[in-house]
Amino acid sequence: MREAVTVQVGGFANFVGSHFWNFQDELLGLADDPGADPVFRTAALDLDVLYRAGETQQGVATYCPRLVSVGSRGSLGSLSSSGTLGSSSSAADQPNIFTWSGNVTKSVAKPHERNLFLQSLSEGESNPSSSNGRNNARENIEDKDLVENLENGVIFWTDYSKVQYHPQSLYELYGSWTDFDKFDNYGTAKEVVSEWSQMEEMNERLRFFVEECDHIQGIQFLVDDSGGFASVAAQFLESIADDYTNTPVMLYCVRNPDSSGSSRNQRETIIRSLHDAVSLSKLSYSCNLMVPIGLPSLSYLSPLLSIKDDKHFHSSAICAAAIHSLSVPFRLQHVGPATDSAHSSGKLDIGELVHILSDQGRQNMITALDVAMPAPSLTDRKDLRNIQRSLHSLTPEISNNDEDPYAVESLVVHGALDAGGKRASISQVKDAIRSGLEGRETKPKFSHLSVSPCPLPIPLPFPSIFSGSIGQQGEILSNSHPEGSRPKGSLDVVSVPMAARLRSSSAIVPFIERRSTSLQRLGVARGTLGSQVLRDWGFGKEEVEDMGEHLAKMLRPFYPEMDLTSDSDDLVSVSL
Amino acid sequence: MSLRVLNPNAQVLNKSEALHMTINAAKGLQDVLKTNLGPKGTIKMLVGGAGDLKLTKDGNTLLKEMQIQNPTAIMIARTAVAQDDTSGDGTTSTVLFIGELMKQSERCIDEGTHPRFLVDGFDVAKRACLDFLEKFKTPVVIGEEPDRDTLKMIARTTLRTKLYEGLADQLTDIVVNAVLCISKPDEPIDLFMVEIMHMRHKFDVDTRLVEGLVLDHGSRHPDMKRRAENCYILTCNVSLEYEKSEINAGFFYSNAEQREKMVAAERRQVDERVKRIIELKNKVCAGGDKNFVVINQKGIDPPSLDLLARAGIIALRRAKRRNMERLVLACGGEAVNSVDDLTEDCLGWAGLVYEHVLGEEKYTFVENVKNPRSCTILIKGPNDHTIAQIKDAVRDGLRSVKNTIEDEAVVLGAGAFEVAAKKHLIDNVKKTVKGRAQLGVEAFAEALLVIPKTLAENSGLDTQDVIVSLQNEHDRGLVVGLNHHSGEPIDPQMEGIFDNYSVKRQIINSGPIIASQLLLVDEVIRAGRNMRKPT
Repeated sequence: MREAVTVQVGGFANFVGSHFWNFQDELLGLADDPGADPVFRTAALDLDVLYRAGETQQGVATYCPRLVSVGSRGSLGSLSSSGTLGSSSSAADQPNIFTWSGNVTKSVAKPHERNLFLQSLSEGESNPSSSNGRNNARENIEDKDLVENLENGVIFWTDYSKVQYHPQSLYELYGSWTDFDKFDNYGTAKEVVSEWSQMEEMNERLRFFVEECDHIQGIQFLVDDSGGFASVAAQFLESIADDYTNTPVMLYCVRNPDSSGSSRNQRETIIRSLHDAVSLSKLSYSCNLMVPIGLPSLSYLSPLLSIKDDKHFHSSAICAAAIHSLSVPFRLQHVGPATDSAHSSGKLDIGELVHILSDQGRQNMITALDVAMPAPSLTDRKDLRNIQRSLHSLTPEISNNDEDPYAVESLVVHGALDAGGKRASISQVKDAIRSGLEGRETKPKFSHLSVSPCPLPIPLPFPSIFSGSIGQQGEILSNSHPEGSRPKGSLDVVSVPMAARLRSSSAIVPFIERRSTSLQRLGVARGTLGSQVLRDWGFGKEEVEDMGEHLAKMLRPFYPEMDLTSDSDDLVSVSL
Repeated sequence: MSLRVLNPNAQVLNKSEALHMTINAAKGLQDVLKTNLGPKGTIKMLVGGAGDLKLTKDGNTLLKEMQIQNPTAIMIARTAVAQDDTSGDGTTSTVLFIGELMKQSERCIDEGTHPRFLVDGFDVAKRACLDFLEKFKTPVVIGEEPDRDTLKMIARTTLRTKLYEGLADQLTDIVVNAVLCISKPDEPIDLFMVEIMHMRHKFDVDTRLVEGLVLDHGSRHPDMKRRAENCYILTCNVSLEYEKSEINAGFFYSNAEQREKMVAAERRQVDERVKRIIELKNKVCAGGDKNFVVINQKGIDPPSLDLLARAGIIALRRAKRRNMERLVLACGGEAVNSVDDLTEDCLGWAGLVYEHVLGEEKYTFVENVKNPRSCTILIKGPNDHTIAQIKDAVRDGLRSVKNTIEDEAVVLGAGAFEVAAKKHLIDNVKKTVKGRAQLGVEAFAEALLVIPKTLAENSGLDTQDVIVSLQNEHDRGLVVGLNHHSGEPIDPQMEGIFDNYSVKRQIINSGPIIASQLLLVDEVIRAGRNMRKPT
């Protein structure tokens, strides 16, 4: 077992993370639940990879995510930053001020109301005798209320979190004069980043979790790079690269659909383009693999899903599901390379995945993420609904051209179903994927496949994003209901089969190219509005040129002829 | 109103409106922070939306906690916080002083004085006041052996405004000893070399100074000793874990056997490094009751820990980067980046190393070191908000001692300086100024009294009585301050109440600058989208 540490930075990253940890918490519960599908017990994923066991000062055992979450002040809602749900409110009622004998003035902020779901959670804690059996008819009514309440009332990412966090996990940035409502571009975080003590505190918290690991396999880093948090994350990544030199970092840049929303004027458009370019350059600089996620709209992603773009609760769910799928190979039991156990195949650790995707063929570290949620069953494998074809990209601005002979990809399929809703065996999935691969005109240079029978469990606080034609096990019902049927959520769907793929191919070129050109056009050219903006953000001329150079370098592997010239450049510099 | 043509939505505040807006903002901020000042001030308890607590009596912390919206207030608050950044204290005083300057100006302006005259007067008064401060300050001889008593007095003055007397007096010694421990003649003091560590455990009075270092982690092997005496300390930054040496190196293996081989080769390299350390240990510890401790900045994996434990070595992994520097200063030796040429000279020394466990938290104490140049203040407290408040107070205390050593001077406290400076301005300076700028000097002088006034007010005394009696004493040529218990004049020198010279200087310097800028604002235009709404 090799440990992984997770870092979440920024608003939307925490929304995604909250769903991600809910999945893990659900898996944890299902593995112990005799009434659950036995696949959750037999093919259990090793949660020790992501979780740590510990105990409180009172000696109570805890099992918490190995997580550092960074958000803005006040983004935790009703959750206290020490990670406990509401228990500290009693301390506020009984203040013991040991340090001052004089007068006291008390100023109490309006407490954040806990929603129905969180209330039911803390009730469940206080009287554990009431089982969380979801089939109980009486409780079902209650659950319906909870789900409805969440559908309409999620404001903070903590509103739907059912996970207990470690006191070291949650960190709130305070920007003394920074308005976090306007924390929308790279430059706005200048004040936060320059404050030494805050960066130090973030590093300290990460160190706490890393120190415990015997064999850390890597760091999963989620960042909401649509605003100032990109800059916070870039700084954080830089010190991670310094402190943990050989620990691979896998970076997911997540954005909510409306973050790229229409800009009102030219100045804002320029700022947006520059922000995108600068954050790509800065973020990719100190990580090993980067996965940009964040389509401008998710509503039309798949006919099987109905996602409301304006709800973070909705859009973050699919990102979290995809990230969960990608993290499945890190948690499979290790078996010899030649043999396959009945329960899994294709274990990878973060370092190996990074190595496969970014070091073979082209040296490209920006990959595209595709997801199939739910993955179709294997029965109609020759049909349109083959797994590979039902993958939809979550990475924006990529080309649809899939014909790249140098592509390298890693595909994860878990919980796939066979005919009649039976779980497909590992070898069946492998065969299906292989024949799917044969059918493709241009085959990728290398394709890795990880398979696990364990599907994605749908926890109660999951949004209703499935269309009416999804069955209880995530199967696609052929006799699908008429168009107008209500979207289904956690009460109707228990688990879904998933497939997710990371692709390192020329499809990503437009994504990089756009940022590279906008930096060249707006930032480097003299006397433009853009160069003024970059100066305000604190970048000197040389630094901007370095960033431009860095972006151009990322494009080079895709243009072999450019590569030649750069090689000769290198030779010249060496001979000098 | 040409602006209206350009942007019909623009709002314009004209001269007197603009002035009153800024003056009101300054007064508002002053009112909020007023009760903080002095040893009789009020502590603020802030309860957040999720029920989390924060205790503070520090103007700096409070300003950062408040979500200030008014642009004028933000300007003042920024100045005050900058004050804290440069000199470590005086945030509340700065806000009070600026507020009072604005208040005094308002009176003059209402009577028809143009702000320009006031600003000119401020400028004269400021320079005169700074000159007076030079004469008024009490020099402190630092030299080789700084006067411990003076340092204690200044630290106590600061700490007593943040914590109750008993705890403040206890921390006074800790803070002074900590700074003296790290200070070297003719070198700037780096307060980062004082580690501040906290434990949620026991009571605030258990806070102590550790001459040495406290690390917030322990060894990760069950067989390693939990306590050892006479220890050699090896401070290193060497990876002692098996990892693929370089992720980008790109090696491939085609079968299991080859993979095993690669792993074995890698493993051998790590083992080799561990063996080097063990060799050194065997050499230096041969035949004595000495022990060996390895503190590594990089990781140490279980097989390496095993080897080290079997050799009787205590090993800690992933130490803080800053602690590498502190360890060397505390224990001696040097931090090594490779195990290739280890000698005894690289090693530091500590008389005692032991581990303390609180639940899942482990602490390692490295104590009884020789000639420490780094130390740790270990703060204990029953809960997080108490710890946080003590921590803030300790920081301020450390800064005040550092300032004294660097200033080589202190200023008599308890309002004595302010009353004396006012007298000087009125008696000597005002005459030298021609015309209406005199009003500015007068306003400035009056504004200085805000400090003793607020001290008196916070102590529940009659402000006017106090000021009159203080001024009488000063007129008789005695330099006195305010006794906050009785309201009687006292001699701050006798009572040991001193303020930092650099803090006072900074307040006198920055206060009038901001006040002048605000007074000269004669139009406020709100047209941009990003403009905050004034409240």
